[in-house]
Amino acid sequence: MNLVLARIDNRLIHGQVLEAWVPFIHADCIVVANDKVAGMTFQRVLMEAAVPRRIRVVFTTIEKVPETLASEEILARRVLLLFATSDDALRAHQRGAEFTELNLGNMHGGKDKLRFSCTIALDAHDIENLESLEEDGVRIVSQCIPADRQMSWRKLIRHSGTSYGH
Amino acid sequence: MAESKLPVNILVRTVLRSFFLQASWNFERLQNLGIVFTLAPALRHLYRGQELAKACRRHLEYFNTHPFMAAPVLGSILALEEKQAKGEQGYLDVHEFKSMIMAPYAAIGDAFFWGGVRPLAAAIALFFAAKGSLWAPVVFLLVFNIPHLWLRIGGFLKGYLSGLKVIEVIQRRRLPDLAIRIKECMVILLGGLSAYLTLIALKAEDLSTGWGLVVAPIVLFVGWLAARGFSSLVLVLCSSAILLILAQFENFLNL
Amino acid sequence: MVIENYLIAGTVAVLAGLDRMAVLQIMISRPIVAAPLAGWLLGAPLVGLQVGGLLELLWLGRLPVGAAIPPDDTQVAVGSVALAVTAGRMLDYSEPEFVILCMLVAIPLGKCGQVFDRMARDWNGKMLHRAEMNPEVIGEGSIERYHLQGLIHFALSSLATFTVILVGGLIILNYTALWFIIPVGKTLNWLSLAFPLIGAAVIIGTINVSRSMSLFGASFATVILIFWIL
Repeated sequence: MNLVLARIDNRLIHGQVLEAWVPFIHADCIVVANDKVAGMTFQRVLMEAAVPRRIRVVFTTIEKVPETLASEEILARRVLLLFATSDDALRAHQRGAEFTELNLGNMHGGKDKLRFSCTIALDAHDIENLESLEEDGVRIVSQCIPADRQMSWRKLIRHSGTSYGH
Repeated sequence: MAESKLPVNILVRTVLRSFFLQASWNFERLQNLGIVFTLAPALRHLYRGQELAKACRRHLEYFNTHPFMAAPVLGSILALEEKQAKGEQGYLDVHEFKSMIMAPYAAIGDAFFWGGVRPLAAAIALFFAAKGSLWAPVVFLLVFNIPHLWLRIGGFLKGYLSGLKVIEVIQRRRLPDLAIRIKECMVILLGGLSAYLTLIALKAEDLSTGWGLVVAPIVLFVGWLAARGFSSLVLVLCSSAILLILAQFENFLNL
Repeated sequence: MVIENYLIAGTVAVLAGLDRMAVLQIMISRPIVAAPLAGWLLGAPLVGLQVGGLLELLWLGRLPVGAAIPPDDTQVAVGSVALAVTAGRMLDYSEPEFVILCMLVAIPLGKCGQVFDRMARDWNGKMLHRAEMNPEVIGEGSIERYHLQGLIHFALSSLATFTVILVGGLIILNYTALWFIIPVGKTLNWLSLAFPLIGAAVIIGTINVSRSMSLFGASFATVILIFWIL
């Protein structure tokens, strides 16, 4: 298996992934790791309809990420792995999904979240998750699209975040 | 299928307002205020008092999709809101529908319009510009806006009339594959355009046409650099500097 | 004259700037439309067409996807035209090479466009917060007024970028035009070719069409060979 990018993106499959990342890393398979989506036919059909035929889309639950990545049909492909939240990424890594670098794409704001860049808003729990991933040897960087400058997440959170409250 | 319950003038106002969808685009919840703004006339028609305030608040949630693909989404939202206002329960409520549809539709619109139609229109218009014709902007606007306005108006009506079923319509069209087709055509046109511009430059410099075959690999090399993350800004400034230095060098040799 | 040109081109800059993101998006914001429009209003439509034709492809490959902010090619285009006309009259240049020189000055200055654009969007975020803090606004008309206020933010951001390009450009050209006009003139044909070809190269290098390089190369070579044979 050739995992070329693991990314946290609350929007999962959207323009940035398909138009910017897929050609940049030459991915030909997108694995969407999300418990909710994996269980919803309607959402899966919609997402598949957004992807050109030459790219394979596989939906899987967080539990089954390592299994999916090791499966026959995916072994020969260049895989882009998508998570919606830091929780999912941490859980998948603990279950044995092997990725050494994690890209933070879009993590949108919400209650108690502080915004650290245009597209990244984190709360204390997110930071905890990312810290444990880092302890496990995962390099965590934020980069929305390939044309943006890559930035270590430590550097990102050094600046104080902006809160708009709720 | 939902019956048309909203008066025509409200539908017209919704379409007109949809052109202002991104006026207050923000990093917090992206197009959310735009959705409330666009739906406001219809929501006022469907709800009163507390109910209206609740409906507005509901639509202030995080939302973002491609601005043109928003048209069929807005149409479907109105169809769903009509049902919800009457107290009917559908397969999905408005919130579920919006959260499921926004990202896939964004992907389709980005690929089709930003990745496909826009560069195609530019490649065609630039042939006119290369000939020095002031029709170039007109050609560009026509090629781009025919599909654009067709989707904004036709897509909205389709969404409104078919509600959730609009998804099947979009699915049948296989727009992402069509987008790839358009992009391939655009790349071929771009090749022709680049060759044509090269020929103009060669002629102005009194060089043989055959030199054009040397330019092609240079362009492909620059493309290879771009694929590795070099930005247009860096590429254009560096190559301008190289050309200017070469000109000085030539000057020096002539002396 | 400077003030008059600033007002005319500034109006185009704001209208085209709004079209980029906030309203319509009928693409009057593209250089191939905005530059000839500005040129036409400033009495130099062909200067506008030259700028628009050279700049159109350069950032066309940078898509406005999601929250990503592409470089502000609209203001670079309108700013280059305004510079070419205004500085051209002040410093007495009217050659095509001066237009290229103006573009070379406007392109790096246009970098500030992304910063201003981001500020406008941050401003919108604060406004959203204010709108939500005040529950009475919902249901009445005022939430719509909040939304439309965003137009002011985007308009100001466009105007700021345009102003930086025009004022900064006038100062820079005032000191450097004399040195650079001759070398730029010597390479005029090659520079005019470099802009669109780099744009085309960036598009084929970053687009998600797997065979983009071969398709491009084949059609390029075909056209050259046909003209060679004829």
